Amino acid sequence: MAVRIAGAAGQGVQTLGEILARALFRSGLYLHGEFSYHSRIRGGENAFTLRVGEAPVLTTTDDVDVLLSLNEEMLDLYRPWVREGGVVVTDEAVGDPADGEVRVPAVRLAREELKLPIAAGVILLGTAARLLGLDRERVADAIREVFGDKAEPNLRALDLGYDHVPNGRWQLPSPQFKQGEAMLLTGGQAVGAGAIAAGCRFLSSYPMTPGTAVLEFLAKHAAKHGIVVEQAEDEIAAINMALGAAYAGARSLVTTSGGGFALMVEGLSLAGMIETPVVIHLGQRPGPATGLPTRTGQENLLFALHAGHGEFPRYIVAPSDAADAFYLTMKALEVAETYQVPAIILTDQFLVDSYVVVPALDPARVPVHDHLLPVEDLARMESYNRFALAPSGISPRTLPGVSEKLVLVDSDEHDAYGRITEDLEIRVAMVEKRLRKGDGLRAEVAPPEIYPTGSLRGKRILLGWGSTYGAIREAVERLGAGYAHVHLRELWPLRTEELRHVWSEAEEVVLVEETATGQMGRLIAGETGLQPHRFVPRYDGRPFTAQDIVEKVTR
Amino acid sequence: MNREEYLADVELAWCPGCGNFAIRTSLAAALAQLGLPPHKVVLATGIGQAAKIAHYVNLNGFNGLHGRTVAAAAGIKLARPDLTVIAESGDGDLYGEGGNHLLHNIRRNVDLTVIAHDNRVYGLTKGQASPTAPRGYRTRAQPAGSPSAALNPLALAVALDAPFVAQTFSGEPDRTANLISQAIQHRGFSLVNVLHPCPSWNRVQTFAWYKERLVHLDETGHDPGDQGQAFAVATRSGEQIPVGILYTTDRPTFADGHPVLSGDPVGLRPLPSSDVVRSLLTTFF
Repeated sequence: MAVRIAGAAGQGVQTLGEILARALFRSGLYLHGEFSYHSRIRGGENAFTLRVGEAPVLTTTDDVDVLLSLNEEMLDLYRPWVREGGVVVTDEAVGDPADGEVRVPAVRLAREELKLPIAAGVILLGTAARLLGLDRERVADAIREVFGDKAEPNLRALDLGYDHVPNGRWQLPSPQFKQGEAMLLTGGQAVGAGAIAAGCRFLSSYPMTPGTAVLEFLAKHAAKHGIVVEQAEDEIAAINMALGAAYAGARSLVTTSGGGFALMVEGLSLAGMIETPVVIHLGQRPGPATGLPTRTGQENLLFALHAGHGEFPRYIVAPSDAADAFYLTMKALEVAETYQVPAIILTDQFLVDSYVVVPALDPARVPVHDHLLPVEDLARMESYNRFALAPSGISPRTLPGVSEKLVLVDSDEHDAYGRITEDLEIRVAMVEKRLRKGDGLRAEVAPPEIYPTGSLRGKRILLGWGSTYGAIREAVERLGAGYAHVHLRELWPLRTEELRHVWSEAEEVVLVEETATGQMGRLIAGETGLQPHRFVPRYDGRPFTAQDIVEKVTR
Repeated sequence: MNREEYLADVELAWCPGCGNFAIRTSLAAALAQLGLPPHKVVLATGIGQAAKIAHYVNLNGFNGLHGRTVAAAAGIKLARPDLTVIAESGDGDLYGEGGNHLLHNIRRNVDLTVIAHDNRVYGLTKGQASPTAPRGYRTRAQPAGSPSAALNPLALAVALDAPFVAQTFSGEPDRTANLISQAIQHRGFSLVNVLHPCPSWNRVQTFAWYKERLVHLDETGHDPGDQGQAFAVATRSGEQIPVGILYTTDRPTFADGHPVLSGDPVGLRPLPSSDVVRSLLTTFF
């Protein structure tokens, strides 16, 4: 079952989508809700596509059973995607009466009965909710959650729409989980929550879609959780402030998109040199330059990997969904802290903005520890060298001002104490020390997920990474026997042993990636010499759907 | 404290006759005057001849990127309000590459002391015009003379209502130490612009050139509490160079009334308890 709410920006598509998602979640159902929009405040195309299921819903869809269109333009655009037997709900003034749509005098009722023209959307939502078989009280609960003390006129709007049609055309499945067993959240909220769970204490960022969602989440929770959140004057300031804060002891995060990350690149290199942990959330969108600001893509993989002058270790993750975003964000903060390296969380607009119902998150799955040198140990040390040449490459770290030992870090090549040096023997030792941390990092990376388990002999493999997980998984399910899904979540250091095995067993490896050039293919080829046999691209700024992948793979 | 304790026993890679030597000694004297233990001070610097000072003193140090000195310093101070944070670098770093961070941290009013070594040239890269070089100043990179007017950092800081704005001359180390110590004590953002000769590259603004032109504001009846007067002094053109405190004010700092900064420094807070994390996650139920 799938529903699409479409309208112009400013007509409340996002709010209506959130109400519907909450009502279905409160009914004990799994869902995936994709928000797709033009880069503007008013007008343009805004659509919220929601799929409901009895099991976790992994991704979005092109075709729907119910289309709720708030204007003529969206009706024309999306009517072709309504399935056979589906329903279109519109205002009485929209569309052609002969088309047999469910037409509601929503605008008139909102104006005359409620004196609140914007409530027309909620009236239409009430009608759609009844057709779907949603309980009126669940929708009312959702309206109270979303509108707070402004709920009253919207509850009346719900009744007006709900009473417009007889009882539902469909019947919803029975509840699949009890309250407390599942969570409703977006990928952006999951990154923010994961950061807080792993002890994030500082965020400095410049607003940039889709990275801003994480800034807003942390800003909302900052006072309660003791986090300094500051909107920086630019992304260069953001990363340098974060590094200053991290040097001084705060686990630090910055959030941005490709253009902002480009400005942070020198700071990323500094993080590598001064061995100071920092985590960068990089929400991808299509480029080059400003590109498609509100659309999705995976074009920053090789950029994230190669950004920064000089050679230094880093850790890159690409969560597959919101739950994964929570756990991998926790892991990114913890790995950055353990190895004193920069970590990058590579998401995209689709993951950041999509609502999804996931099994209740359990922060205990990612243990978090304090990695600083105990102050008692420091007191016993005769001298302290911030960059001592440790066998693991990880020098014991302390903070300024916690003991009489001084802490000096330097972006120049430096000696063990941190003082600038041009002694080339020390230089060589420091390069090797920094790179040794890569060995430990490599051991942190989990193997790629292979589905279904068992032999891959003679199979066609759909290979993906990041937020395309759900679409590829559904495509593999539909394609059936003969196909398997290999998915990467931790991208750097790249774990190659399982990939070599996949190539040796499989009939064909098909890279599925939202780029025009197949960046993961180049990454794997560079590390292993193995090339994907085929590439299924998408670079129009829309996320893959299972249908889309099946068509392209079998063509 | 004795000022010698702040001075690192290392070789100093500055040119003979450079004003940086005196500024280093003045910084140490200021810290000694205030009795600040070295481990409670962080010196954030950028890149350039002046920025090397982080290696020539016994203090905590964050010698970061060129131009990003004040941004890094702000991050350090926001994470650790318990520490005294000083940002020190050259005119190219603070006023050229890092101009945006200067503007916005004056707005933010983070409690930082910014010490600018202002010799009007780029020393480390061999003598190009800095943002404070006068129009027409000739260098190998600007053979026809710098086509741009000089930046006036004092007027800029006064216009932005920076809480403490002062200028001094490296050739007057006691006065410089005094001003730095007052800047550190002043609540909020402080700028101390230290004029100094560059014997290697600047053949115009020499030691003697400065000496002839200095006007001590504490001897002229200047009222640092008067923003209009301060702006007039900062923009006065001609042969007189004002030194001393141009402007002081007391306006809310970034930390005043901040819901998080009023508590323990975030850089020293423990990891969140599992109860706290669970309470956050219940918002998704």
